[in-house]
Amino acid sequence: MQQEVVLALLAKEPSHGYQLRARLRDALGPLGDAMNGGQIYVTLGRLEKTGQVVVERAAGMPDRPDRKMYALTAAGQRRVADWLAEVNWPKPDLAEFHLKLLAAAAAHLADPVAIVDAQRRELLRRLRDAQRAAMAEPRESEAALLLEGIVLRLQADLRWLEACERTWTKPKASTRGER
Amino acid sequence: MSRALLISRLVARDLSRRPAQAVLMVLAITAASTVLSLALALHGVTSQPYQHTRAATRGPDVVAQLGGPVGSVHIPGHPSRNIGVPPLSVVQAEVRSLIKAAGVTGHGGPYPVASAILRLGHVAAPVEAEGRGEAPAALDQPYLTGGSWVRPGGIVLERTFAEALGASVGDRVTLDGRPYTVAGIAVTAASAPYPNMCFPPGGECGFDAPTSSALSAVNIGLAWVTEPDARSLASAAAPLSYFLDLKLKDPATAQQFASHYVASHYDAAHPFPGAGGLTAWQSIAYNDGLLVQDEQQVLTPGAWLLGLLALGSVAVLAGGRMSEQATRVGLLKAVGATPGLVARVLLAENVVLALVAAAVGLLAGWLAAPMITSPGAGLVGAPGAPSITAADAGLVAAVALVVALAATLAPGIRAARVSTVTALAEQVRRPRRWGALIRISRRLPAPLLLGVRVIARRPRRAVLTAASVAVTVTGLIAVLAFHATADARYNPASTGLGDPVVDRDEQMLVVLTVALVGLAVLNAIVTAWATVLETRRSSALTRALGASPRQLTSGLLAAQLLPALPGAVLGIPLGLGLFALANGGGARTTTIPSAWWLIAAMLGTMLAVAVLTALPARIGARRPIAAVLTAA
Amino acid sequence: MSETMNQSMLRARGLRKEYGREASLVRAVDGVDVDVPAGETLAVMGPSGCGKSTLLHLLGGLDRPSAGEIWLDGQRIDQMSERGMAALRRDAVGFVFQAFHLMDELTAVENIELPALLAGRSPRAARRRATELLDQVGLADRARHLPAQLSGGQRQRVAIARALANSPRVVLADEPTGNLDSEATLDVLQLFESLHEAGQTLVIVTHDARIAATADRLISMRDGAFVDNTRLTGGTAGNLGALVGLDG
Repeated sequence: MQQEVVLALLAKEPSHGYQLRARLRDALGPLGDAMNGGQIYVTLGRLEKTGQVVVERAAGMPDRPDRKMYALTAAGQRRVADWLAEVNWPKPDLAEFHLKLLAAAAAHLADPVAIVDAQRRELLRRLRDAQRAAMAEPRESEAALLLEGIVLRLQADLRWLEACERTWTKPKASTRGER
Repeated sequence: MSRALLISRLVARDLSRRPAQAVLMVLAITAASTVLSLALALHGVTSQPYQHTRAATRGPDVVAQLGGPVGSVHIPGHPSRNIGVPPLSVVQAEVRSLIKAAGVTGHGGPYPVASAILRLGHVAAPVEAEGRGEAPAALDQPYLTGGSWVRPGGIVLERTFAEALGASVGDRVTLDGRPYTVAGIAVTAASAPYPNMCFPPGGECGFDAPTSSALSAVNIGLAWVTEPDARSLASAAAPLSYFLDLKLKDPATAQQFASHYVASHYDAAHPFPGAGGLTAWQSIAYNDGLLVQDEQQVLTPGAWLLGLLALGSVAVLAGGRMSEQATRVGLLKAVGATPGLVARVLLAENVVLALVAAAVGLLAGWLAAPMITSPGAGLVGAPGAPSITAADAGLVAAVALVVALAATLAPGIRAARVSTVTALAEQVRRPRRWGALIRISRRLPAPLLLGVRVIARRPRRAVLTAASVAVTVTGLIAVLAFHATADARYNPASTGLGDPVVDRDEQMLVVLTVALVGLAVLNAIVTAWATVLETRRSSALTRALGASPRQLTSGLLAAQLLPALPGAVLGIPLGLGLFALANGGGARTTTIPSAWWLIAAMLGTMLAVAVLTALPARIGARRPIAAVLTAA
Repeated sequence: MSETMNQSMLRARGLRKEYGREASLVRAVDGVDVDVPAGETLAVMGPSGCGKSTLLHLLGGLDRPSAGEIWLDGQRIDQMSERGMAALRRDAVGFVFQAFHLMDELTAVENIELPALLAGRSPRAARRRATELLDQVGLADRARHLPAQLSGGQRQRVAIARALANSPRVVLADEPTGNLDSEATLDVLQLFESLHEAGQTLVIVTHDARIAATADRLISMRDGAFVDNTRLTGGTAGNLGALVGLDG
């Protein structure tokens, strides 16, 4: 669980652990289901250790993690501000795949086109699932927007894979006519 | 210079890309030009032709018909009196009086005239044979158009009469049983040509030779023989009459001379001793012209009908050209041509088409004119070129140009004004929506549904179709009415003689009918083909939705036949009315052809429309669907 | 497992379509075999000019193959007469085009009822069916609109409704979202999904991966031949979080 995300969720006001979990689930929709329940508390624990989050104990409550009240420290607030100003887009793994194909071709380990086709099939299946999930969500919900983004990126990746396929397909001896 | 070259290249390329449309347009305008040329030629012929004859024959100013059986004389207010045959002395006295009358400067004759029956083969006709000297006369010498002048045993026939008989130089004929040879054929200015020889004014021809009743309905012909031959033909039952030619000091006053002389010398107690009286040359000229006027009465309405049909074809073609011209204009504008250049390209193209059409039409008219102009009115004058003057040519070219420009430039201008985008997107002629027809068509079976919707897309096209069919049927009905009337009025079968008026009219009608049918066929093909092209996309789509080719073909047929029906029905009264109008505006009786013929004309036209539409429709309905839809 | 399923709704063997002669011969479709069981959605993808549209035209009876056999619901169709093929297009096949191809002068409902009228149904029955379908595609309020008054997505939905007018056994769609923006694409997508759920056999030609992803099976085409043929079920099987790195 990205530490910056948790910090950002606390930026508005101090919250309980269970409140943070609920907010995350609302924002992520079905993707939130993949999230491990205890993930968030582990992250909160780490942030506490590095001094970006401080625990405000609620009076008279037993010492349970989900009853603890968490709040940002000054260091935490600074980190959030820095994070918001960053423009780093989540890393795509294009370079790794590209190198995969080159290595396979150079060492004759596998047919690059077969690798591309396998990847394409996988992405198409993912696209199908994401699309189904997107259509199941009510329109204009926050989760629907996220799913739309996933679908579009998968589409873009698929286009790149088609280009890979065209490039890596050995040109056949011209039995087929001009196009 | 380069601009002109550019324009000519654009025009040439464009015309060569779509030659079919250009050719059709040229054909339509050519037909109109031909008719116009013919009409002008004929008009030219009627204005001064008699003058030629008069000059060539040294025609007389006044002709007096004396002697012969005068028959009954009718004078208003007095009981009729049978005069009988004036004695020779009276006639001679009259001749002397006329020769000495004031204003008379010369005379010819008097020539004896015998009434006889001429037989050629099995054809018989009454004829007045004028006895002449073998030497040419100074006044009124008939002009030979074939053969030679009279000789003993030789007879010269008046040209139109010879035509009616079917006689030519060298034929053997009999006059009252006596053998003669046709020595020559001539024209004269002293008498109107057959069959108008005996038309009033003046009087009626007295013809009292022994004739069978069958011949009494037949017109009298004119011929010349030698004087002794003429006298030998006289008998107690058919006495001689006499023609006297007079030359006046002032030919223009011939009619006043004639009426004044008769009024001052004769009255009820002493009538003119002759059947025909005094005839001035102006009257003869008038009768001479009647023949051609008759022809014009046939030609003029025919020309109008043809003109309408030609315009119809041109309008349909123009509509079809409009959208493609719009696209072309859009393309030209999109690649940077100025509006001026675009206009000049369009203008150049249309001018070229029009001039070509006018030239072909003039040529066709020039070739066809002799058929109509030369023999008909006893005219002297070379056939062919002189009948179409430079002025006529200019007029025909101008009319062709105006028609072409009006029909094709107007859409071009509209296209030029429309925005480039619209033109390129082919939005210039969107199909209309006629909600009522669409709703009605829903209840009809599939072929009619499709047909009605085709009509609803372009209602004006349907109106044009109806109009063209109406014009065609009008023409056909008028021709049928002509035949019916001519048959009722004059039946040549009994005598074998032709009536040149009717013959000439019939010839012209054949030409007109052929032209009419030709144009109508052109029109039907153009309309059908244009419709098939325009509905190409929606037809392919309808087939993709499940319409069979037969349903589609039937639909297109219905789209043509549904408007054709009211047009054809309307054509019947219009045709009868047109003929009645041309036939003296009701002064002469019009015989209505039998109902079977009328229905046959109507159904025949509709059948022709159906057949001409079916072929392009079938071709269009079998094109591969995918090709049409993906190209659209 | 597939033996127990319904027999093929659409089948083709050795399908070939050629244009031109001799040196300029072009094989748009080069010896292709197709098998579409009833109720399946099949997507055909490929670069432009690979012959996928031609293939669809052949399957839908809009064009005749140069060689090969086609069976629709057990009936051999490649040798049929023109009239037979017309009946086929009317009753057994519904076609959806990339360019919509609606009649410009007819309203939405009139466009939709046209195939029913051509099939000989009474005007009232045809109108009823058309209204039903308009409802189904969510355009009940646009019944009286002309195509010019509709957006691209709405026009395509009308076209889809028209394709369904005579309850066809197969719906063939040729690049149905080729001329649409992404929102309109979504509308069409949902329509296809609902058709699929209702058991309609669909064959869709597309180069849009999103449309392809709605299919049960995907065929890739190149140069007139099939190069790939996969079932599209399975995949991340619910682990969507993996797509955004939320599981680590």
